[in-house]
Amino acid sequence: MSSYLITVATIIAIYAIVVCGLNVIVGFAGQISLGHAAFFGIGAYASAILTTKAALSFWAALPLVILISGLIGLLLGLPSLRVKDDFLAITTIGINFIVEAVFLYIPFFGGALGIGGIPRILLFGVKMRGTAFFALCLVFLALVLLVCWWFTRSWGGLACFALREEEEAASSMGISPVRFKLLAFVLGTAMAGLGGALYAHYMRFLSATDFSFPLSITFLGMIVLGGMGTIWGPVLGALLLGVLPELFRPLVNYRMLFYTVILLLMIRFQPAGLLGENSIVRKVFSFRLLGERT
Amino acid sequence: MMKSLLETKDLSKHFGGLKAVNKVNMKIYPGEILGLLGPNGAGKTVCFNLISGVYKPTSGIIEFEDTRTDGLAPYQVAAAGIGRTFQIVKPFGSLSVLENVLAARGISRYGSFLKIWRGWKTGSERKEAMSVLQKVGLAELADRKANLLPLGNLRRLEIARALIVGRKLLLLDESFSGLRHEEIARLERLIRNIRESGVTILLIEHNMRVAMNLCDRIIVLDHGRTIAEGDPESIQKDEKVIEAYLGGKGGTIAA
Repeated sequence: MSSYLITVATIIAIYAIVVCGLNVIVGFAGQISLGHAAFFGIGAYASAILTTKAALSFWAALPLVILISGLIGLLLGLPSLRVKDDFLAITTIGINFIVEAVFLYIPFFGGALGIGGIPRILLFGVKMRGTAFFALCLVFLALVLLVCWWFTRSWGGLACFALREEEEAASSMGISPVRFKLLAFVLGTAMAGLGGALYAHYMRFLSATDFSFPLSITFLGMIVLGGMGTIWGPVLGALLLGVLPELFRPLVNYRMLFYTVILLLMIRFQPAGLLGENSIVRKVFSFRLLGERT
Repeated sequence: MMKSLLETKDLSKHFGGLKAVNKVNMKIYPGEILGLLGPNGAGKTVCFNLISGVYKPTSGIIEFEDTRTDGLAPYQVAAAGIGRTFQIVKPFGSLSVLENVLAARGISRYGSFLKIWRGWKTGSERKEAMSVLQKVGLAELADRKANLLPLGNLRRLEIARALIVGRKLLLLDESFSGLRHEEIARLERLIRNIRESGVTILLIEHNMRVAMNLCDRIIVLDHGRTIAEGDPESIQKDEKVIEAYLGGKGGTIAA
């Protein structure tokens, strides 16, 4: 494969990991989040700093990065879960701007110059690049999908589905809304952190604007397109919204316009996403391998 | 006198100047079916929401099995063994009927961080959920999506979920409203069966015939206050009750 294709595929795989995390929050637990790029950025910056300033290896830093992302997700989730729906959407947008500003204006995070010189990932003494890096991303994506699949079959997942459907009824059944929303938030932001770490060591240079608000919208677009609350929807969404702009290179300046049109069309014709309930794809294939919306 | 299962003492809930529930003292005894009646806006549902923890009382206390439950969150009240239905049904729409009931059955796990990682698709809970569905007559519809069910079945589903949570006390909020005649008769039988199995029931009911048939004892509320309490016959003859339902002699309600 050409290196151009590998680059596109790698970015898509990384986005798929991040979007799986967003799907846990939005699709499984029904909590709108418009600031997911912030957590992607937190993972990326955490891994960049731990491997450059603290000189840890990628593998030593990774558990810390996932932990840090999840913990910050918990901390920022606590106040934001006091609000619902539109207000939660606004709050999460705010989180995105604040996190971006922190990266941009605090010298520790490299300021406007960003962070460079991020080392490559070493695996068994081999430097990960090109196809090998892509394969590594696929392995992580498979793990993330496994966690998502497990979660949909666990009692914790069922509690989140119940909350998504009817919060008042769910809480009258012993489900603590705060506890399970936070659980989804922590899981989702930890996955974003993992994606961020991979991104940092792939790009090897980070700047705050890589994680700005429009990226959050793109992530949300991916799950809306692919199918909210399904297992494979985020992967399909990341694939389509990753490949289409490359196919329509001349459109690239109008990318946001393009996303908007796709989102509007989806909302009008396929509100549950391409893999969601009653979708065209499901009607055509009607096989359950794609992962049932539970 | 028998010991009460649940007791409210001077229970009040004010919304601004409106005294929705005003110093209500109520005792529910183990094994009885207690009816909560009253005209629209009397404060019945507010009472339910106070007991189930949706609202915090403005003043007064609620004791369940000698433990204070006022101030607890709804999920904590549920964990204590009080289940409830909603006047406007609140199914988990995109989940199946069985999943709806299983979501309630998970109550023994939701409190522990370690227990929530186990799978819900297998295990004894599934069998238990099926037997509850059998009881309310929804077993054949177990795999149907809840938002495809007609109202009568949704009310049964609400009862099935509440039944799992309410091991001790079941709060039924107008479970009969909007049902057809034969559905009412079936639901009456179901509620009697539930009581036979040892669950205490507090129900809000508008249908007088049903309330008189089913309840051992009735409390009538009006404007947030208790205006009458007693067995169905005495309630039917109570002048204050008749006045509350049909309007005061001198047009006091209009004032």
